[in-house]
Amino acid sequence: MATLKEIPDVTGFRNAIKETTGLVVVHFSASWAPQCGQMNEVLSELAKDPGYINVTFIKLEAEDVPEISEEYSISAVPTCVFVRRGKLLDRLDGANVAELTKKVKLLASQSDVSVPSMPEPPKEDLNSRLKRLINTEEVMLFMKGNPSEPKCGFSRQIVQILNENNVKFGSFDILADEEVRQGLKTYSNWPTYPQLYSKGELLGGLDIVKELAESGELKSQLPAQQSLDDRLKGLINKAPVMVFMKGEKAVPRCGFSKQTVAILNDTGIDYDTFDILSDEEVRQGLKTFSNWPTYPQLYVKGELVGGLDIIKELQESGELLTILKDGQ
Amino acid sequence: MPITSQQLEEKLKAELQASHLKIVDTSDGCGSKFQAVIVSPQFEGKPLLQRHRLVNTVLEAELKEIHAFSMKTLTPEQWQKEQS
Repeated sequence: MATLKEIPDVTGFRNAIKETTGLVVVHFSASWAPQCGQMNEVLSELAKDPGYINVTFIKLEAEDVPEISEEYSISAVPTCVFVRRGKLLDRLDGANVAELTKKVKLLASQSDVSVPSMPEPPKEDLNSRLKRLINTEEVMLFMKGNPSEPKCGFSRQIVQILNENNVKFGSFDILADEEVRQGLKTYSNWPTYPQLYSKGELLGGLDIVKELAESGELKSQLPAQQSLDDRLKGLINKAPVMVFMKGEKAVPRCGFSKQTVAILNDTGIDYDTFDILSDEEVRQGLKTFSNWPTYPQLYVKGELVGGLDIIKELQESGELLTILKDGQ
Repeated sequence: MPITSQQLEEKLKAELQASHLKIVDTSDGCGSKFQAVIVSPQFEGKPLLQRHRLVNTVLEAELKEIHAFSMKTLTPEQWQKEQS
């Protein structure tokens, strides 16, 4: 039998809302207000009703979750809000028991009719989607087609300029997404494509990029591109003890890597790993950089200790812990 | 009716007090491709992005019809330098 659920914190509430596809009735309550007690009694009764088996009843202490209360503009208790898939359907301010029962009945019946069997994932708001997209990579190009197959002359030219200047960039094909195509024009107040972004800021279209390239300013307008060596240096120094391996610590993807992880776990020393399968550039680059042809590779304080054979030997001789501790 | 370079010039002259304008229809008269050089005191102190935005705003209606519009935006001072 269903009950009125008391959820104590913001995360719990968000999860409950996310996981539920049916109607959710949320009571913003306060223990010091007698009217809230009355509402809770009614909600508990409604929760027991088998007719509302698909309805979730939640009680929140409004003052414990100010973030949520603000989101739903709660200014007084009791207030009930009616939500389905994160969308606010209706609200009821004050302790109006008759109205509460009526609203639950109405909204619950709507859900039975209108809820499709496969609930759609909650839709991301367009602006946050655009913001996320222009920040996908440090340099992002919104173009027609993709860099290897541009679908318009302007897009082709801008790709060519970027390539000539060795600029690394991510791209988005606006022809594949009409919502983004139209939305981004408004969002960035720029009516045409291609559009080039640097760190989420619009740099401009083809004409601007062309001028910047001609005047030699393009590079300075783009985020400094880290050289591979610098990147590798950063990575091997990311933690005092670093392992470059195939797969992740929890899921090694080769026997050697697996053994390495097992040995290191035994020592109880803290270490970080990098999955070389996820980054071909690092995978190839680090071999040259450290003059070591295979993986896994163990680093302490940025210095290469060796591969599995060496790790094993060190373990057997009892030196491993000393070397690893050196990094702590 | 296709857009003509004359139409664009008139608009830019009026809105931006453009001191020099050169607009070339590169579409052989079908009004879909233009190359423009625009010199306006209103560009003074504005980065390229703002200058292009300014032109885009002035030509908002026309740009909906134009397929390809490329522009160079200069201040009178820059223009003079380029001439000499």
